[in-house]
Amino acid sequence: MYYVADVKESECAKYNCKQCVLFCPEPNTLMYNSEKHVAWVDYSRCKGCAICVYVCSDLLKRNCIEMVMMTTGE
Amino acid sequence: MGLEYVKISPGFEKYMPKDYVDLVKYGQFGKQIDVQQIDQIKELVEEHPMCAGCYMAYFVRIFYASLPKPEDTIVLGTAGCARLALSQAAVPFIYGNYGDTNAVASGLKRALSIRFPDKIKDVVVVAGDGGLMDIGFGMTMHSWFRREKFTTIMVDNEVYGNTGGQESGMSPKGVQLKMAPKGKKFDKINAVELAKTAGCVYVAKLAPTNPKRIAKTIKRAILAARELGPTFIHVYTSCNIEYSIPTERVLADAKEREKNDFGFYEWMTDEAKEYLEEQEKKMAEAKT
Ligand SMILES: Cc1ncc(C[n+]2csc(CCOP(=O)(O)OP(=O)(O)O)c2C)c(N)n1
Ligand code: SF4
Ligand code: SF4
Ligand code: SF4
Ligand SMILES: [Mg+2]
Repeated sequence: MYYVADVKESECAKYNCKQCVLFCPEPNTLMYNSEKHVAWVDYSRCKGCAICVYVCSDLLKRNCIEMVMMTTGE
Repeated sequence: MGLEYVKISPGFEKYMPKDYVDLVKYGQFGKQIDVQQIDQIKELVEEHPMCAGCYMAYFVRIFYASLPKPEDTIVLGTAGCARLALSQAAVPFIYGNYGDTNAVASGLKRALSIRFPDKIKDVVVVAGDGGLMDIGFGMTMHSWFRREKFTTIMVDNEVYGNTGGQESGMSPKGVQLKMAPKGKKFDKINAVELAKTAGCVYVAKLAPTNPKRIAKTIKRAILAARELGPTFIHVYTSCNIEYSIPTERVLADAKEREKNDFGFYEWMTDEAKEYLEEQEKKMAEAKT
C-alpha cells in the first residue's frame, strides 16, 4: 500500500491552474495535461508528502487533491 | 559534454533507454525553458532517494530546470543530502571528499578555460551548510579570495541532515537538535556578508517559495560567474526530518522563514549589474 496524491479531475478542470505542479519536490511526478487542463499524478513516483494538498487546499482553497492509499499495481 | 555529445547518433534511437530518448526529445538540452513550463518537459533530474517532502530536493529540481546551458555545465557536490539527487541528473556530477567542492571546482574551471578557451563551460557547486561553512570553510573562502569564476550554492538546512542531526555553524542560536541536546550556543554564521567581503561579485539569499525567482537568481549567478568572478546563493532548504516539520507544512514553513529571516536579498557589484542588464537584454531580444 502506498500513500499518494490523487487529483479530482472534474474539480481541477474548473480552473486553468498548475500551481501544485510548481511546488512538488519530485521531478516529473505531479504533471499537467494542458489539453484537458488538469493536473495528474504519476503514482509510482509520488512520495506522499501532501505539499500539493497544502498548495491546492490551504493556499488556493480549491480542494482538488486528496491523499489516498493505493495498492501496488493499481 | 556539449550539445553534440548529448544527441543520439542517427539510427540508434531505438536502442537507447526511453528516459534518455525523452531527455533529448523533450528535455532542456539546447534550449531555454521557462521554469513555469516545467510540467511540459522531461526534467534533467530523475527519481532519487531524498526524503518525502524534502525541500532541498525541491530546490534541486528547480535548480536543474534553471540552468542556462545544461549541456555545458558541470555540477560539484559533496557528502550531504543534496548529492543524493544531484547524482541522479543528466548533467555531469563530480563528488569529491567532504568539503572540498570549492577547491575542486577552482581547478576544474581553470582547466576548462584552458582546454576550451572559446566555449562557455559553467561550473556550479551545490553543497550543504556543513560542507561549505564548517568542514569546507577554508576552501570555500579561498576560492572567493582568489576570485575563481564559478557559482557556489549553499543548500542550508541548518543541520547535518545526512548524518542524523549534528549542529552546524548555520544552525540558529538556541536550537535543540538530536546531537545538540543542550541547544546551540552560538549565532548562525552570516554567510552572505562573508561572501561579499571575500570577493563574490553576486550574492543572493532566498527561501524556495517562488520558482520563477529562484530560476532568475540561479541564471544571474551563473552568468555573472562566467565573466566576472565568484557568485554565491544562500538558500533555505528545510530538513523536515531533523526539524520535525510535518511534510505537508514544509512550504508553509519556507514561507514563514521568508517572512522572518530569509527574505529575498540580492546584492551585486556595479560591474555585475551592468553585465547582467546587458545579458538579460540580449536574452529577451533572442526570445522575441
Ligand atoms: C571527511 C568527512 N568527514 C565526515 C563525513 C561524514 N559526513 C557525511 S555528510 C556529513 C554532514 C552533512 O551535513 P551538510 O553538509 O550540512 O549536508 P546535509 O546532509 O545537511 O544536506 C558528514 C559529517 C564525511 N563523509 N567525510
Ligand atoms: S493546484 Fe489544484 S486546481 Fe491548481 S492545478 Fe493543482 S490540483 Fe488543479
Ligand atoms: S504528495 Fe508530494 S510527491 Fe506526491 S504529488 Fe503531491 S507534492 Fe508531489
Ligand atoms: S534528512 Fe532532511 S535534508 Fe536530508 S533528504 Fe531527508 S529531509 Fe531532506
Ligand atoms: Mg545541512
